[in-house]
Amino acid sequence: MATMDVDVVSAERSLFSGEAEAVFARTPEGEIGILPGHQPTLLALTSAPVRVTTAEGDHVIVAVHHGFLEVRENHLTVLADIAELAVDIDVDRAKAAMNRAIAHKQDPDYPGNADAEYERALLRLRIAEGHYTPAT
Amino acid sequence: MAGAGELRLLRRRIRSVKSTQKITRAMELIAASRITRARNAVEAARPYAQMITRVIRDLAIESEVAEHPLIAPHEELTRVGIVVITSDRGLAGAYNTNILRRAERLAKEEHNAGREVAHYAVGRKAEAYFKYRGVALEQVWTGMSDQPRYADAVAVGERVVGDYVEQRIDRVWLCFTDFRSALSQVPSVVKLVPVDARQFAGGTAFPPQYMFEPDPASILDRLIPRYIEHRLYAGLLESAASEHASRQRAMKAATDNAGEIIEELTRAANNARQAAITTEISEIVGGAEALASSR
Repeated sequence: MATMDVDVVSAERSLFSGEAEAVFARTPEGEIGILPGHQPTLLALTSAPVRVTTAEGDHVIVAVHHGFLEVRENHLTVLADIAELAVDIDVDRAKAAMNRAIAHKQDPDYPGNADAEYERALLRLRIAEGHYTPAT
Repeated sequence: MAGAGELRLLRRRIRSVKSTQKITRAMELIAASRITRARNAVEAARPYAQMITRVIRDLAIESEVAEHPLIAPHEELTRVGIVVITSDRGLAGAYNTNILRRAERLAKEEHNAGREVAHYAVGRKAEAYFKYRGVALEQVWTGMSDQPRYADAVAVGERVVGDYVEQRIDRVWLCFTDFRSALSQVPSVVKLVPVDARQFAGGTAFPPQYMFEPDPASILDRLIPRYIEHRLYAGLLESAASEHASRQRAMKAATDNAGEIIEELTRAANNARQAAITTEISEIVGGAEALASSR
């Protein structure tokens, strides 16, 4: 099957670089799946998992908290504001972060952005619990 | 006996200098390992910087970049923001002094040009410096300078970009320490906002069949703040690497000095010991002779 070059980079580091058969992501408009030979594209991403099907047939799942996706000349780049590989997420820590986020949401005096924290925590927890892992 | 007392005193000082040396050596080693980590973080952040610059550059042709609120300069330049990145902890040689002096010079230049200056401080050292001099700080961020995360840059970025957009300030300078090599760290200044449109010149136009979602202008709206945050993040990382390099050098000098002091003290202690022994022997000999002659 045809493949394309895929790079997933966050502001802090590069998370994935290699050949892939397909990439699935979510934009504010909805889900999108991109195959090799896709037309040149520039998309904004929401807080959602990005799924990469590698040339070996493995699934790499990345928690992406907002960012951009660009396709040109069979090269796909995901520019994530914050991103984390699913395998790096610890379920217990994700749960703890979720509880913290809920507490912050209920605290009217909390100075940070509690909604964004909740959104991030929810995505991490769902990914850590395997909600987005495709059945094999 | 005076000789033995002096000896005790010298030995105590040697012990105390030795324990100080242990601490400075440990700090030197920790700083050395942190330099590597900070350098790796700088390297790891580079692909994002390259890609975001390229995407903006290409978008710049598609839409009117020069009119973007974060790129178009304000018409009146009355108040300027200066973000200074220092460390939280001291014992880093001249690192903090150098960058604060650079920031002070910049503030003076702006002042002479008739502009008001708003200070933003990263690190306890900048906070203490400006507070001591009675300079009002817009905001202080601490606890991030030795291992900065991207979220830290976002926090600073949101504040200064917000102030810029609301016309509270008309320009933002970033003062950070550029890590050139382990031996050379240079206090540097870059203009953070408004973003210089020339950095995005020379892009290639998108082919007509390009698909945008949402439209190019909205994507640009979201990309430019990320670009600014990333410049801040890079500045924080460079500064962190510089901080550790300065600390390593300062601590190496301290360890070497302690070694010299120990050597000198040991020599003095040996002398004192020798003197004490000589005194004792002459006392014994003198005593024996007095006994022999009295017989």
